[in-house]
Amino acid sequence: MIGNIRQQASGWLVNVAIAMTALRTNLMRSILTTLGVMIGVFAVTLAVAVGSGAQVSVMQSINALGSNMALIFPQPDTGEGGRRSFDRGRLTMRDARAIEKQISGIDDIAPQLRSNIQLIVAGRNASTNAVGTTPGYGKVSNLVAENGRFISDADVRSAARVVVLGPTVARKLFGDFDPVGETIRINRAPFTVIGITESKGSSFGNDNDDIALMPISTMRQRFSGDSLAGPDDLQMLFVGFQDGISLPDAKREMTKLLRERYRVRGKDINPFTIRTTEEFMKESAQVTGIFQIVLVAIASISLLVGGIGIMNIMLVSVTERTREIGLRMALGAKRSDIRNQFLVEAAVLCVIGGAMGLILAIAGGTALTVYADFPVPIGVGVGVGAIIFSAFIGLLFGGYPAVRASRLSPIEALRTE
Amino acid sequence: MALVETQDLVKKYELGGETVRAVDGVSLSIERGEYVAIMGASGSGKSTFMNMIGCLDIPTSGIVRIDGIATSDRDGDALAELRNQKIGFVFQQFNLLARTTALDNVAVPLIYAGLGTEARREKAKAKLEEMGLGDRLDHSPAKLSGGQQQRVAIARALVTDPVILLADEPTGALDSKTSEDIMQIFESLNEQGITIIVVTHEAEIADHAKRRIEFRDGKVIEDVAVNNRQKVSS
Repeated sequence: MIGNIRQQASGWLVNVAIAMTALRTNLMRSILTTLGVMIGVFAVTLAVAVGSGAQVSVMQSINALGSNMALIFPQPDTGEGGRRSFDRGRLTMRDARAIEKQISGIDDIAPQLRSNIQLIVAGRNASTNAVGTTPGYGKVSNLVAENGRFISDADVRSAARVVVLGPTVARKLFGDFDPVGETIRINRAPFTVIGITESKGSSFGNDNDDIALMPISTMRQRFSGDSLAGPDDLQMLFVGFQDGISLPDAKREMTKLLRERYRVRGKDINPFTIRTTEEFMKESAQVTGIFQIVLVAIASISLLVGGIGIMNIMLVSVTERTREIGLRMALGAKRSDIRNQFLVEAAVLCVIGGAMGLILAIAGGTALTVYADFPVPIGVGVGVGAIIFSAFIGLLFGGYPAVRASRLSPIEALRTE
Repeated sequence: MALVETQDLVKKYELGGETVRAVDGVSLSIERGEYVAIMGASGSGKSTFMNMIGCLDIPTSGIVRIDGIATSDRDGDALAELRNQKIGFVFQQFNLLARTTALDNVAVPLIYAGLGTEARREKAKAKLEEMGLGDRLDHSPAKLSGGQQQRVAIARALVTDPVILLADEPTGALDSKTSEDIMQIFESLNEQGITIIVVTHEAEIADHAKRRIEFRDGKVIEDVAVNNRQKVSS
């Protein structure tokens, strides 16, 4: 048994040796054929890597939001269809307090108002997205003050004119100078900078650091008076949950609570929308999955062309070596021996091409990561997969020429000049 | 039991709408240890006949038995095995693999016999040494003379220890001096008990054999024992 396996292994090694000799004999042709597979494997490998890179970066973006969180908007949820009983969305501070009190497993909540603001200091100005919120915001969205402090409950109670800046805004206004304690003007009112947030990078092409945070009470008084219908309205509510809490369950409970509060009946549309980070992740995974499939499909076309090149050259090789095939048959080669010889030759061509394509893809991926700041992970799995896939391409496209070689009649093959 | 036996062997070809009977009802038997020359003009059917007893070509009708085995009962793979184990081929154009050393050329049949690398090298080396090419193991055919190449081919034919050596015009591409060397080798192989069947159109080559079979138009027209070795060999 072991002897038999060793014999078979040695048989395959012989085929590899025969293949190498044959490929060296037509070196230029072999290189050009290999090039086709190389480009194909390069394209497919890079497409796979870019796709999974996109997935990674999307997940990072969602994690930057806060990992176990629900977002509630005052927008009628038209997703399910049904009768629309409200002309506009509803979400108030009282709803937020009710949720905090009645739903279990909540870590913290962060009611929000948002507005675009102008910041001016010493002749420099910047416009940014301001968020009026409560101390809970820091906890829910994993945001900490790297320098100075975050908004406090006292700030919220007194509607203090304080602001926490994101690193991008701080850099625009103050350069490298530490702005904590400085006074800036926001829409003509003086504000004290109390802190700078830690950098959170960017998600979906948005700079997460281009932000200014202030107490929600301050925001309500100064910037969003007319855009809201009621004095207690919110534009968004983050609800952070403790680890291990089931988000779908929590969403169901919150929906039930809010429906009761707004007396939504039966199939009527809710005046609010609840989304969880879990849903975002699922949707994004779907989108990036489709993106990846499209990329790989396009790249596969080049691999297909490479494979056709392999088939073409193998047919030429079989034709050129008809006499050799006849001789081998005369010397005792079975059909399977001849078939395997040419299959191995095609696979060797493809694996060499695949290995070169893989190296190229690793180089391309590294370049993308370094210069475009886009993660392109080519793991061991992708590498091994690329090589195995190349061998498979060889067997697939080398199959027909190999079978054709194996079906030659020994005497006719021998007579070929 | 005869080593090679044919009964009413027929091979027909369709050529330009006409049926050519290349071999037309040949029945003969060759015993173990014989040295047979098959003669005839080109187109006489001698090569076709040899291809059929070499299991390279399939008869239209009739029977070929090699060492008691009827080839018509066998499929392609079984015939490949039969060729590998019982028959050694020597061709006019040597048919050595280019860019492949003498040693590796000789080892080719042993690959298909399923031997491991070491065993193959050992046996191939021994056969090449028997052929006086012990110092040419790593030479590719391009670096060998015609006579040396044919000796490599003979070593290859013999490496699986077959019972029959089939040679199709083995000296057709060689000068007369070298041809003589090859014939000497055949004679000594025959003395060692190997059955040799040589296809040739040269009388001097046929004269080395012990039996001469002459083909014309696909039929045997003469089948005689010869004994004139003294005259030819020096």
